[in-house]
Amino acid sequence: MSAAILRSSLGTSLARYSRSWGLWVLLLIAPVAARYWIGTEQDTSAVIAVQNMAPVMTSAVLGVTLGVVVSTLLLPIAFLYLRSNATRLQPWQVEEVTTGSRIAVALGRFGADVAVLAGVLAAMTLAGWLIAWLVLPAGQVDIGLIALTLWLIAGPALMGVAAVRILFDSLGFTRGPLGEVFFYILWMASIVAPIASGTKGDGFAYNLTDYPGFVQPLTHTLPDGDTSLSIGSAEVGSKKIALDVMAGINSPGYIASRLAWAGIALLIALLAGRVYAPHKPRVRRIRWKWLRRLLSPGAPRAANPDAPPARGSWLPAVGVLVSEMRLIGQGRLWLLLAAAAAASGLFADFRTVTSPAALLLLAFGLSAHAARCERTKLLALTGTAPFAPMLRRVAFVVAGTAWTLLIGAPAIVKAGLAGNMVPLELSLATGAAASLIAIVLATVARSPFAPRLVLLILWYGYLSSA
Amino acid sequence: MAELTLQGIAKRYRKKAVLADVSHSFAPGLTLLVGPSGAGKSTLLRLIATAEKPSAGTIFWDGNALPGARGKLRRTLGYAPQAVDLPEDLTAREFAMHIAALKGLALGAADKQFAAITDAIGLHADINNRISTFSGGMRRRLIFAQALLGDPQLLALDEPTAELDGATARKLSALILERAKAAIVIMTTHLADELAPSATVLRVEGGSVT
Repeated sequence: MSAAILRSSLGTSLARYSRSWGLWVLLLIAPVAARYWIGTEQDTSAVIAVQNMAPVMTSAVLGVTLGVVVSTLLLPIAFLYLRSNATRLQPWQVEEVTTGSRIAVALGRFGADVAVLAGVLAAMTLAGWLIAWLVLPAGQVDIGLIALTLWLIAGPALMGVAAVRILFDSLGFTRGPLGEVFFYILWMASIVAPIASGTKGDGFAYNLTDYPGFVQPLTHTLPDGDTSLSIGSAEVGSKKIALDVMAGINSPGYIASRLAWAGIALLIALLAGRVYAPHKPRVRRIRWKWLRRLLSPGAPRAANPDAPPARGSWLPAVGVLVSEMRLIGQGRLWLLLAAAAAASGLFADFRTVTSPAALLLLAFGLSAHAARCERTKLLALTGTAPFAPMLRRVAFVVAGTAWTLLIGAPAIVKAGLAGNMVPLELSLATGAAASLIAIVLATVARSPFAPRLVLLILWYGYLSSA
Repeated sequence: MAELTLQGIAKRYRKKAVLADVSHSFAPGLTLLVGPSGAGKSTLLRLIATAEKPSAGTIFWDGNALPGARGKLRRTLGYAPQAVDLPEDLTAREFAMHIAALKGLALGAADKQFAAITDAIGLHADINNRISTFSGGMRRRLIFAQALLGDPQLLALDEPTAELDGATARKLSALILERAKAAIVIMTTHLADELAPSATVLRVEGGSVT
């Protein structure tokens, strides 16, 4: 029976994926990004910089470079896609009351996710072969090496993402925004930790700490104590460094560690089925009475049965703006935190404290509201209102910008009195950009996952660049 | 007095014809659209509510043809679709005020009116609760209540009494009949018995309306 459930879960998920147009976007993103990231010999920046030098390009180095593109770009995009794609909504109301094995369901979905990501990796491999013909000297293109290095590095990492998404969808507390926050932390830590450790090593245990899998191939042949490595978009000079990445790949324990990561991903998917928590209606239980009273709107005021019909507003656009602001800042907890962030502007630095705090709050408020208004069957209703959805989206961007101004107001006024307009300019720019990103992604994905994760990634970039 | 006219309306989804050459004029009062499942009742209601465009034919509102008069119609429309993706994390009141804002209504007055409507249909005690805690019947009443906000001259209601118990359905019916004294109320239903004596009944079947 479990085998039948697994087959059914796998088949249904694959059928749903096959009807997802987002999959075609995903299949294109990585190869296109790879083409633009892997520049020419003359470029002053490179995806990989070892000792501040770009590596001499060979087939194996190209495969590793594509693996780095997967780790830095494709992993979060893959997570976004898996969380917000056609299979996001599951018939749990029916599934959870059956006796079917949750492990079989989880493994079936995991299998479908892995198959989809393998398709993306296949597209990336094809792109790698094409790029090789463009950037490598004739006769030096080894398509087998490109595929081997890319799949060894990226395969287990992508399987890990699929497993984490299944696990996060299985647990009540990670089905919502916390899931995105946890993934973001995991992803950052998985890339930064092996690079930041700066130590060289060998063996299965050492290689297991390198989840993205590119550190050992890049640093294995470097002298001890000089393993400085940058990835993403690093500044490099014209001098190149020759790397024997195959020595790293063939070093003791490396391939075994990659296989182990694939196995761990499978175990996580198994665990996801084992610890699956049924959906429950969300009832907030706040222990302290005073806090409960503070956060709850309480009982409604008595109704007047003779209340006349509401007339049209004199300023309907203002009404929509106010409504958008209320729903972005929905809930008393959000408002309390916003007040705290605003107050910080009086005594703390705006760029490092108040502005990041405001944007972090808005990452959650904007993504939640942007997505809730973009659900198909709600749009069918709101699309018949005088304020059509496109006008509401414009109001959303204005309201999001207004919130950053409001939270930043104490700091803006304080700085303004001293002739400093930077807080005002920063609030305007960051608020408008965050709101625009949120509404565009929510309109495309029709879920809060994509805007939330992208805003969190951008928020981290904003915070760390202060 | 408001008037809605359908002239030669047809609706096709790819090759499947759902409605063909539907013509009818609606004056204030209650009109029930009855017929078997899949006959095109909800499609006709969506066309009237401007949620979709007809494949052929013209809709006139107060003598003016759509789409030119669409804005005018929407300013006085109350629409309750059969299913809405209600925002689970909002309270009923927050959701209703969002709709009121999109309708261009004064929010203070809309809040009071929403309280009165929900009081009449037995939902008022729950308007500050999150929609995620609502039963199917409560959701149905919320969708109905938002349609009544403002002073709509055209009410398009898709099965508003489905999933409701007898007593609650009668409360909604009473409100619908009250509204039908001054407004055009078009409502789809499977069970026309209770409201039929006070309504014009149109049968939708095989793509035509009789």
